[in-house]
Amino acid sequence: MPSLDSISRNLMLDSLRAYARKKITYDYIREKDAANECPLEVLREMYDTDKLGVHLLMIPAEYGGVSGGTYDIYRICEQLARIDLGIATSVFATFLGTDPLNVGGTEQQKEKWLKRIAKERLMVAYAATEPDAGSDLVNLKTRAEHVIKNGKLAGYSITGAKQWISNGGIADLYTVLAMAPGGPSWFLVEKGYEGFSPNHHEDKHGIRLSNTSGLSLDNVFVPVENLIGGEEGKGLLQAQAVFGYTRLMVAAFGLGAGWEALENAIRYSQQRIQAGGPLCDKQGYSHKFLVPHAANLEAARSYIEYVAGRLDSGEHGLQTEGAIAKYWATESGNKAAEDAIQALGGYGYTRDFPVEKIKRDIKITCIYEGTSEVMEMTIYRGRWQEHLKTRGGFYMSMAEEMENLVKTNPNVGADVCALSLRALTAVLEECRINKLTRHQHVTFKLGSLIAANEIAWSFCRTAASEKYSETVKFDRKTYETMARVNAKNTALKTAIEGASLVLSAADEPAGFSEKINAKEIEKRQKGLLADMDFIAAALKQAFKAR
Amino acid sequence: MLEISAKCIGCTKCVAVCPFGALSMSGKKAVVNMSACTLCGACVQVCPVEAISIKRDTASKDFSAYKGVWVFVELEDSEDLSAEGPVRKVSFELLSEGRKIADALKEELCAVVLAGKNRNYERELGEYGADKVYFCENPEFTVYNTDIYSAAVCALINKHKPSVVLFGATVKGRDLAPRIASALYVGLTADCTALSVRDGLLVQSRPAFGGNIMADILSPNSRPQMATVRPNVMKVSPAQSGRIAILVREDLKIDKNMRRVKVLRRKIDRGSGSMKIENANIIVSGGRGMKTKEKFKLIEELASVLGAAVGASRAAVDLGFKEKSHQVGQSGVTVSPRLYMAFGISGAVQHLVGMKNSDIVIAVNKDPNAMIFGAAKYAFVADAHQVLPKLSELLAKGLKRG
Amino acid sequence: MKIIVCIKQVPDTTEVKINPETGTLIRTGVPSILNPYDHFALESALDLKKKHPGFSVTVISMGPPQAKAVVQLALALGADEGVLLSDAAFAGSDTWATSYALSMAIKKIGKADIIMCGMQAIDGDTAQVGPGIAQQLGLPQVTFCEHMEIEGKTIIAERHIDGGSETVELRAPALFTMIMPKDHPQAYPSFTQIYSASKKKFHVWSAQDVEAQSHYLGLKGSPTQVSKIYPPKKETETQVFNLSAAAAAEKIVEIMKKEGFIK
Repeated sequence: MPSLDSISRNLMLDSLRAYARKKITYDYIREKDAANECPLEVLREMYDTDKLGVHLLMIPAEYGGVSGGTYDIYRICEQLARIDLGIATSVFATFLGTDPLNVGGTEQQKEKWLKRIAKERLMVAYAATEPDAGSDLVNLKTRAEHVIKNGKLAGYSITGAKQWISNGGIADLYTVLAMAPGGPSWFLVEKGYEGFSPNHHEDKHGIRLSNTSGLSLDNVFVPVENLIGGEEGKGLLQAQAVFGYTRLMVAAFGLGAGWEALENAIRYSQQRIQAGGPLCDKQGYSHKFLVPHAANLEAARSYIEYVAGRLDSGEHGLQTEGAIAKYWATESGNKAAEDAIQALGGYGYTRDFPVEKIKRDIKITCIYEGTSEVMEMTIYRGRWQEHLKTRGGFYMSMAEEMENLVKTNPNVGADVCALSLRALTAVLEECRINKLTRHQHVTFKLGSLIAANEIAWSFCRTAASEKYSETVKFDRKTYETMARVNAKNTALKTAIEGASLVLSAADEPAGFSEKINAKEIEKRQKGLLADMDFIAAALKQAFKAR
Repeated sequence: MLEISAKCIGCTKCVAVCPFGALSMSGKKAVVNMSACTLCGACVQVCPVEAISIKRDTASKDFSAYKGVWVFVELEDSEDLSAEGPVRKVSFELLSEGRKIADALKEELCAVVLAGKNRNYERELGEYGADKVYFCENPEFTVYNTDIYSAAVCALINKHKPSVVLFGATVKGRDLAPRIASALYVGLTADCTALSVRDGLLVQSRPAFGGNIMADILSPNSRPQMATVRPNVMKVSPAQSGRIAILVREDLKIDKNMRRVKVLRRKIDRGSGSMKIENANIIVSGGRGMKTKEKFKLIEELASVLGAAVGASRAAVDLGFKEKSHQVGQSGVTVSPRLYMAFGISGAVQHLVGMKNSDIVIAVNKDPNAMIFGAAKYAFVADAHQVLPKLSELLAKGLKRG
Repeated sequence: MKIIVCIKQVPDTTEVKINPETGTLIRTGVPSILNPYDHFALESALDLKKKHPGFSVTVISMGPPQAKAVVQLALALGADEGVLLSDAAFAGSDTWATSYALSMAIKKIGKADIIMCGMQAIDGDTAQVGPGIAQQLGLPQVTFCEHMEIEGKTIIAERHIDGGSETVELRAPALFTMIMPKDHPQAYPSFTQIYSASKKKFHVWSAQDVEAQSHYLGLKGSPTQVSKIYPPKKETETQVFNLSAAAAAEKIVEIMKKEGFIK
């Protein structure tokens, strides 16, 4: 679905913020967090179409929704994560649970169920994970057996167990993945079906406001019309079809919660006086806890928006892109939150300040919807194929694009990004020649390097674009500087880690160091310190102490 | 029109400061989008090479017939709709300030009084500097009405042609002045906090953007130059006993049917026991740093020892420590006591604009970088919670003995 | 009855920052909002509409194209029709020229019984545009109004005065400028309302569309001119004391004696 107009989208964001300001104060969240309690009354209000109706975003207007596009959902997810990642997860679970219907449902099913979700404000849960099957859905143990009545297939009898299901204990409707005779399939299971019961609410490290429970299914009868798509065996395809999209939402969570933590640190650093001046004016502080995270997170944003734009223009799948976005944004957000605790010192370690909770919450984004390691593998697999198919041309053409970009905009670090992409190509090429991808360590590491390079490429393009998107809070010079810093860091990482990856497993190939061109990449680090000084000042300006 | 000359060096400073996003870079030069530009002048200030200018209509008109500085005199409202209250303090403030303007312009200072009955206004207003009192007597003036007052003042202006007319930025002044300015097609500047004269023009200074910035406003091409002036900002000069203004009676015909808005009843708040902060000599004020409503009582105790009024920052009001009527600042009351004591107030801009006209400010705050210290004559880096009880105790002892 | 509400998009002044070196405003990252007083005026109008079936609410805003956002917000909250007055000719308009342009647009909309404005905008704090419009249209005005009741063509309104309040009576058509009650929680629209707002009637009018004469508009038509913008200046020399609480209290007493506040 294409996105809404910018005004409507921002009005929705404003309404969400206005609601949160009034109802979801930090004291409230803190109390619920300590009690390990899902704020059901708040969630019910957020689903109340007269008050807010966030769940409508995923539902097309013809079924009573508001037809949000990927970009809209990314923005809302980012905002939700800034409010509370547990509440965000609960809303996300409805989005996710609605997905198999949106993707695979028949017209009659959409007509019935999407309309019901919209109108009856149904909370939905997405029930795929099992005790022995995480992202690896092939090991599915939950069975759906045919129930024949009067010689006709009347429905299915589902038996099995699901684990770590968000909204598991509170949902009104569940989309359950089970192994039917024809293969994995999605079924719609309503709360209260006989034989169906949620287990206890888990005691989690973070996102304690999100209800997470296991589900027990004991010969649960589900009518045949509740088989999504009306055809067995489509389940995995339907699940995978939306990974690009759902992982982008988790990426938005990492971005939102990470920025929230970072913003706390930036504001705090202007109030806390140490050794005669505020912390924010000390490089040992700002260049460690603030600047790198701001650059990383804005780089993540540029990539999220790039992928959202492609999905909104009608492209499908984009699994690798979704994985890159999730991997980079959640890992960056997690690190930013970790450092935010350090940045607030003793205060950061107490629950009087929100960063401690953000840190506990954000960790989940590196785990659910595919762990960071599953992302590394997915990214490697997707791009390795591209590298082979194009005989190394995939990243070389991106490098050329960057070299051309330097001519129109010399400020965004496109030159060093091009060097990085060429070094990456050299690393991939040596891995191919020496068959290094037989080592799992190499493949995962390649996944990580690939993600960093594509992120840097995207940030250079974004920072050089003529008009910035509505989300950019910084002026052009600051944004260009951030892109430049990110490109320099990525190039250095590629040159050092890429080279050591090859050298760790193979003899030094002839001409390898020329291809990596580490000397030139090192030379281009010039000015990095001044750039960081500039960003530090801009951050202080953008997020004044309150 | 905003014009950017060839002198532009492409430094982009103007692009960054434009509050309306009207400037951008094209090639290596700044360009302006006139549909977004409001000609606020922020870019003109920041340009290092004076490449930006605002081109104005310079056609000069002959204003030599316009002479005299006028002050619109406001009377207190009362619940009894047939009674007229005394002259409001703001009018004396305006006369005191108007005197300086009139002297600078070498023109006379006139007070305009619309009332049902003369109460020796030529004496009372003369003592505060008025040379002349234009007095219109009519029972229709007893209860203020926008249309009637506006028609009367417009008629007087058209007849006598003053160069400057000042109103209090009170409810009445802000109801009336824009009506007159609109009718006469003359410039009116709202809520001024300072006035001066430059090249024969009235320079009207006022805060904008929530007190974040000051602007000087001129009305060069129309007369009279009109302004409403914030109460409690200008100082009242000592009365010159025995000084009497010339009373000029103006006979104006007032059509009763002009009264389209009728006042049915009026309610005047009689202060709820505590002293009103607008008129207080000493204000003891507390902020977020007081932590709780319970602790805020320390402020009230000190105030009662001193017979002072209690003030509060917006944060303290938002947190429920004190009622909104005690809020000092941009969204609250502007005060100008002789002594302002700030405890646990950080000193956000919006608070500072409301109290910076205090004669003396004593501030106590734990944070050595608290903004309030910038506005204070005496700054104490200390914990307000500990200082307050000690101070109350010392003062109570001292006052008992004295 | 037909109600017209005048609204303005303003920078959120609580978020406005000043560049300490140049003393100028920093606009990057400062959100634009619907002026809170106008927000309340709109809510009051929508309340009247709820109470009186058959009432309609039209909103009008003057500003750059992006001010469409506040019109759309008003439509989402329940206004029936929106107008954005947008033209380069309006740039630099002071309160006089703004009142003139808005009054011309109100004439074009036609047949307004009630016109409502916020008491003032938080970026300018002038409170002059409302009365200016009333004058241009020759209407009676009730400024600093907090509440009104309508019966037929008769309106009973509560308004704030210095030191109290008064109740006034008048007949439509008339103009009201609205103050905000204390602690008034601002209404915000639901996602469905926002979605349907984009389908409501919305017009963009130029100066020519409302037959406004160009010599009354913009800088040329504005009697006031901004001659200088500068940061609020600091005048006080500060004496700083780092003392224990007891010593500080004694010092304060000493200062109060010296300055003549106590004997």
